Amino acid sequence: MPSWTLTRRRFLLAGGAALSSSMARTGVARAQGRRGEIIAGLSERMLTLDPANHYSISATSVLRHVYDPLLDVTNDDRLVPALAESWRPLNNTTWRFTLRKGASFHDGSPFTADSVVFTLKRVRDNSKLIKSFVYQDIDEVQKDGDYAVTVTTKRPFGSLPAHLTMLGMLPPSAGAGEEAFFQKPVGTGPFRFVSWTHGDRVELAANARYWKPGVPRVEKLTVRFIPELSTRAAALRAGEIHVIDRVWPDMVQTLKATPGVKVLDTPALEAQRWHFQLARETVKDPRVRKAVSLAINRDVIIKDLLLGYARPVVSPIPPGLIGHTNLGQKPYDPEKARQLLKEAGQSNLTLDFVLMKDLYPKQLEIAQAVAAMLGEIGVKVNIRNLEIATAREQRTAGNYDLFYSGWAHMPHDPDWYFGQWFTKAGAEKLTRFSDPRVEQLIAEGRVPDPRVRQQKYAEIERILWDEEPEIWPYYSVAIYAISDKLSNFEARRDYYVLLHEVGIA
Amino acid sequence: MRSYLLRRLGQAVLTLAGVSLLVFVILRVIPGDPAKMLLPEGAPQSAVDALNRELGLREPIWVQYGIFLRSVARGDFGQSFQYGAPALRVVVERAPATIQLALAAMVLTVLVGMSIGVLAAVRRGTGYDYAGTVLTVIGQSLPNFWLGIMLILLFGVTLRWLPTSGFQGWSYLILPSLTLAAFPTALVARLTRSSLLEILGQEYIRTGRAKGLGERAVIWRHALRNAMIPLLTVLGLQIGTLLGGAVITESIFAWPGMGKLVVDAIFFRDFPVVQTVLIISATIFVVINLLIDLLYTVLDPRIRYG
Repeated sequence: MPSWTLTRRRFLLAGGAALSSSMARTGVARAQGRRGEIIAGLSERMLTLDPANHYSISATSVLRHVYDPLLDVTNDDRLVPALAESWRPLNNTTWRFTLRKGASFHDGSPFTADSVVFTLKRVRDNSKLIKSFVYQDIDEVQKDGDYAVTVTTKRPFGSLPAHLTMLGMLPPSAGAGEEAFFQKPVGTGPFRFVSWTHGDRVELAANARYWKPGVPRVEKLTVRFIPELSTRAAALRAGEIHVIDRVWPDMVQTLKATPGVKVLDTPALEAQRWHFQLARETVKDPRVRKAVSLAINRDVIIKDLLLGYARPVVSPIPPGLIGHTNLGQKPYDPEKARQLLKEAGQSNLTLDFVLMKDLYPKQLEIAQAVAAMLGEIGVKVNIRNLEIATAREQRTAGNYDLFYSGWAHMPHDPDWYFGQWFTKAGAEKLTRFSDPRVEQLIAEGRVPDPRVRQQKYAEIERILWDEEPEIWPYYSVAIYAISDKLSNFEARRDYYVLLHEVGIA
Repeated sequence: MRSYLLRRLGQAVLTLAGVSLLVFVILRVIPGDPAKMLLPEGAPQSAVDALNRELGLREPIWVQYGIFLRSVARGDFGQSFQYGAPALRVVVERAPATIQLALAAMVLTVLVGMSIGVLAAVRRGTGYDYAGTVLTVIGQSLPNFWLGIMLILLFGVTLRWLPTSGFQGWSYLILPSLTLAAFPTALVARLTRSSLLEILGQEYIRTGRAKGLGERAVIWRHALRNAMIPLLTVLGLQIGTLLGGAVITESIFAWPGMGKLVVDAIFFRDFPVVQTVLIISATIFVVINLLIDLLYTVLDPRIRYG
């Protein structure tokens, strides 16, 4: 769906938002019965309160409650208004955002175009910020009155609105002393920041003047960081916390058997992808790559090792993203694989399969199963389970044949994945992929027009599906467990834990 | 005594300088690129290079070390790559959790370990002795992560007597300190028993008994005091280890201490934090061992340093 056309739904949303700000002003929201406290247990520790300085999923989850971005993304991948009421491209390199009136920061200062100009220029200009590299294509950010902003870009930047779903808006006053500001930050979000004990918890309190009516639904939100899954699950089963993320398939039964606990799962926006080192003589030959792909029984991995908590892959990018095209499942055919190897003259093939230690559920078992499957067609697999930083160095140096990795699409847009892994510049120190056709299509797919993007991306996917520079074994499934006291909890496909519209009994 | 102290302090400074150099060099020669770990997996190489320049990692290593030494002399341990905040502040914030856990575990270790050891030695060959042996074998052989999870499941989930994890008050301290104390308690119990048994066979103990001293005075005032010397050595080393952080226990109980911090920092190649933690724990280690050496003179007046 084009994000800028005024659909009936959007019209109603905008109308609702306008109504909501007037209701908030009269204090109706407070009367809607906000009560209780939700405590969430997240797997990954948060490292910063600066929305521009991380690509962490836990920080994205926590900070979404404190700061509002210009746009939000729904669980079915629609971009919807947050601090921007509408947005549209004026041409291929210009975006215009119309901003929400009546929103204010927790310190009382109003949200205006100045915030947007400040936030965008800050992330572009301060190369120390983790998100800075994404915004380098921004040329100019100009306000047009207090409630409209025009962003011009050096080249087409169709994924800008998607990226902006991950960038919380800051008050311009933050620039006066950033270190002090991020000790006790203010945003326009549904919760005010109260405290952060590093490595332990973040405490937030409801923003009674939030622009969206009836939100948040609780007085207090605490997020605890509990890296160990057994402990996270124990805290939930003991009733100490109300929601946990990143449940592994083998923990599901225990949780389901606990009274008062519900397990929710949803296909994630994450495709597992094991990439080949395409400069290596052995796997440079597409017949060898195809043989490897044909020899892997993906059903066994999904059913036996992941207990059904994964989905068969039908395209390099998961359903829901712009451009996704169903290309059918990859077949399992060891006979044909042997034949292809024979044609390629590879009778004594050994592959280095590099893993980043403990990063993905069941990865070592899966790699071992794959080694056994490839053994069936006479390919020896040398599994190298390396510490993450070391594995990445090995990849940069090109010391691998196959690299075990996954790609969670942050934001909800495939441009980053394509641009990083399938352009010469992006893949230079990674997979050594280079294909002028694909490169051209990626550049053409950067325009704002979703119809063009859909078409270009579909074409890229067909080429990749055929060339198999990567093995796509399965789409991940995101599993959460919650207390049955929670209402309106949504198991997100992007692994975010968003609680501002969740209530507690 | 004074010259001894001065000599020991001199040695301590040398040790710490050595530690800092070693840590500094090792961190920079092991594979792994800090900027690459900070940036998401798909960040372009240009962003990696730019960030490494920002972090000051493009300078030659000796230049970096010179800058580091000069800053440390001013009390500045650099900015944490991950937190973007002063490394010293990041580490010191974790100190209360680490100290509480270490002290609680130490108190448990000393009280329980020595009690079991004394009882087993005094009642040698009885049921108490055998029970003590069984307990110490269990304590030394149970892996921390297993014991921790079992304690959580029993006291946190099934009985609901204690919180499963976190760091909020005294009740949160019980399970992690039990987990952490299991191994050193067993160690101390065994050491107390063997050390005390050896002392109890000495002539002066027989003399004490012969001159009509009560058994309590013989054991506590004469025997145990002499048995304390090897125990103190072990306890000193244990305190140092506990203060350096208890990685597994901290991970299981989501305890915001230094152990988990430093492991994450090593993992993400956050050099300033690793350096700070290691230098601080080396300092603690050196100071505690110096104190223990001095304590020997209190326990045993025959020990003199000159």
